[in-house]
Amino acid sequence: MSAPAIEAEGLDKRFGPVTALRDLDLAVPSGSVLAVLGPNGAGKSTLLRLLAGLARPSRGRLRVGPESSGGDRRRARRHVGFLGHASLLYPDLTARENLLFGARLYGVRDRERVVADLLQQHGLGDLSERRAGTLSQGQARRLAIARSLVHDPPIVLLDEPFAGLDRAAAGRLAERLGGLKSDGRTTVLVTHDLARAAELADAALVLVAGHAVRRAEPAELASGALEGIYLSALAEAGAA
Amino acid sequence: MNVLWSVLWKDLITEWRSRDRVVAMAVFALLVVFLYQLALPAPGAGAPDAVAPGLLWIAYAFAALLGLNRAFALELENDALAGLALAPVDRGWIFLGKALANTALLVPVQLVAGIVFAGARGLDLTGIAPSLFGVVVLGALGICSIGTLFGAVAVRTTYREVMLPLLLLPLLLPVLLGAVRATAGLFDDGEAPFSALQLLAVADAVYLILSFLVFEYVLDE
Repeated sequence: MSAPAIEAEGLDKRFGPVTALRDLDLAVPSGSVLAVLGPNGAGKSTLLRLLAGLARPSRGRLRVGPESSGGDRRRARRHVGFLGHASLLYPDLTARENLLFGARLYGVRDRERVVADLLQQHGLGDLSERRAGTLSQGQARRLAIARSLVHDPPIVLLDEPFAGLDRAAAGRLAERLGGLKSDGRTTVLVTHDLARAAELADAALVLVAGHAVRRAEPAELASGALEGIYLSALAEAGAA
Repeated sequence: MNVLWSVLWKDLITEWRSRDRVVAMAVFALLVVFLYQLALPAPGAGAPDAVAPGLLWIAYAFAALLGLNRAFALELENDALAGLALAPVDRGWIFLGKALANTALLVPVQLVAGIVFAGARGLDLTGIAPSLFGVVVLGALGICSIGTLFGAVAVRTTYREVMLPLLLLPLLLPVLLGAVRATAGLFDDGEAPFSALQLLAVADAVYLILSFLVFEYVLDE
């Protein structure tokens, strides 16, 4: 059995007196989708930013990407595509320039072709010369997803990717995310949308106040019991 | 190195399209020069032109603070700073790209304000223009190297507009001392003292190297 793509043990993250994550253990198998659920302030975004290498754990062990990366955070960042609450885009650069800039940061070869392909795949071919600041929310979200995939990362971390999208745009995005799974990428998806989580994820983790209070395994998700599992986890943790 | 040029290109092209930083810095520097002109005695009337280099560099430093504050505020929009921090490179190259971009934006502002100041104070720049340009560039590099580092530190604090000057101004002392003495030497006898240039160059080198090394940790949350 291959090593998990993401492995964490006893992970803590503190911001001054505030503990955002407490003693978290995590193993995400390669090629699977993990949904991270929980109320606001549960530590979901903090977890994602730790996995992305944007923050350092206060305690514990974390490995993202192949074991060969040997805990080197710089090398680990190469394996990760990240989309946070915000788009990471520069409003004064065009869609194409934003992707080219991202590609240069990752040292992507044959950048022009890669960027042109990504724009086409995300339905942005006609908008390549439009400044990111003039795109609609849905278009900007698609561009942001393309930006997170510009270096073809094996691990994708997505924080509330459906936020602010209308039903049609969210549906198209869900299709695209399903495509990431078929490409064999490991995905960690933070969301409040239980229906989307159940549709896309292989497993789920419920966080409450920085603690992992419940894990839902693939069989439980397949049985359509995610909402019940989530609500009972919140009730048990006193957060309902 | 590729990352350095990419960040430099990105900062310059976004500034070219918005022009918000250069215009704000230039207007501010020219307003300060105008206020000097009102506050100081007319040139040649027992005028304190011995303080002209100091006044000029104070105007430069405050104009730079405006630009440096804005440099990282722009990166906060859409959390683009996280996009930079995610790059799988030594973050020192990101620092160098931003520091060079800040320098490239500050130098033209300094030149315009310097020429207007010299005109208003009756200072003759012919003959010293190339040396003065060199001092301006060295001074700008020193201000922008440590300023870029502290701009990144201050941007995540609650009172970033206040924090940057409080953190930065004390550390600008060696750069400003060297730049003021070198400029005074040029205004007085057409030559910048070697000790002043040495101080300026050493301060630049120390700040550049130090900032390059610690930027990796500055971008961590």
